[in-house]
Amino acid sequence: MPRFYLHIRNGSGYAEDPEGQDLSDLSAARSAAIDGVRSLLSEEARHGELDLGGSIEIANEDGNILLIVPFSDAINLRRSPR
Amino acid sequence: MIERHLLKLRARSQVSAEEENAIRETIAEIRSYPADQTVIRAGERLHSSMLLLDGLMCRYKDLSEGQRQITELHVAGDFADLHSFTLKRLDHNVMTLTPCQIGIVPHINLQRITEQFPHLTRLYWFTTNMDAAIHREWEVSLGRRTAASRIAALFCELRVRLGVVGMTDGDSYQLRLTQTDLAECVGLTSIHVNRTLKELRERSLVEFRSGRVRILDWEGLTEVAEFDPAYLYLDPIPL
Repeated sequence: MPRFYLHIRNGSGYAEDPEGQDLSDLSAARSAAIDGVRSLLSEEARHGELDLGGSIEIANEDGNILLIVPFSDAINLRRSPR
Repeated sequence: MIERHLLKLRARSQVSAEEENAIRETIAEIRSYPADQTVIRAGERLHSSMLLLDGLMCRYKDLSEGQRQITELHVAGDFADLHSFTLKRLDHNVMTLTPCQIGIVPHINLQRITEQFPHLTRLYWFTTNMDAAIHREWEVSLGRRTAASRIAALFCELRVRLGVVGMTDGDSYQLRLTQTDLAECVGLTSIHVNRTLKELRERSLVEFRSGRVRILDWEGLTEVAEFDPAYLYLDPIPL
């Protein structure tokens, strides 16, 4: 399985992924990124502050960025009752 | 060979030379396992318990879609499944996280201990109670602690447990876990762990790099973790 590096860029700066994860393809890497963002945002929601301005940069082993996943891709935000 | 196990036991109660000898004789063989190998599967009938002599192991359960929760880490000197002596089938799996040396202890030999060495039997009962105390602490972490506090609590716990068996170097210790392993311990994702480790590093509390934990501010870390080592029962106990 190829190795993908999921770097985080948001209001608190840049967190490089030093290890990477073995995932079947880019689509699996995107799913891992979405899961990760949801986990980060759920913690932020507990503190009452959501930073949707960040993104996950998915890079391959050569360091090339293959995809950028904005935090906003991870959630559907509804502001008014249906 | 069983030195770390003896350190763990003797931190809590005296172990006589006769008892020490009895422990040595319970081990039928020593096996080496590679990292990331499931050595006990939930539900299988067990006839022996595993005494971890060197390496890191864990108890874990899997959910659908590849979600895994590690429920306890085992360090050198721990029995990974002393409870299988009475349960005979486990409700969880056990795997190696690093290459491991494991002493195989047939249940029939443990039975002999219970019949001939009542004090040692009580001491082993104590160690399974301590596993339960660790589970309770993890339950509090998973249910209530923030991400930073969960990771801080885990690093505090391991510092104490590894310290008991002589595997810390001052404020630092080897911990050959990946961020994914850590995430599976604390119920987060690898991304969340990465971001939280960065936060703990920037607050000058603890660094985790290349399989090594370096505690920069023990007091600050215990405060973030709300860590009280009482659940690890470090004082001698009249058994």
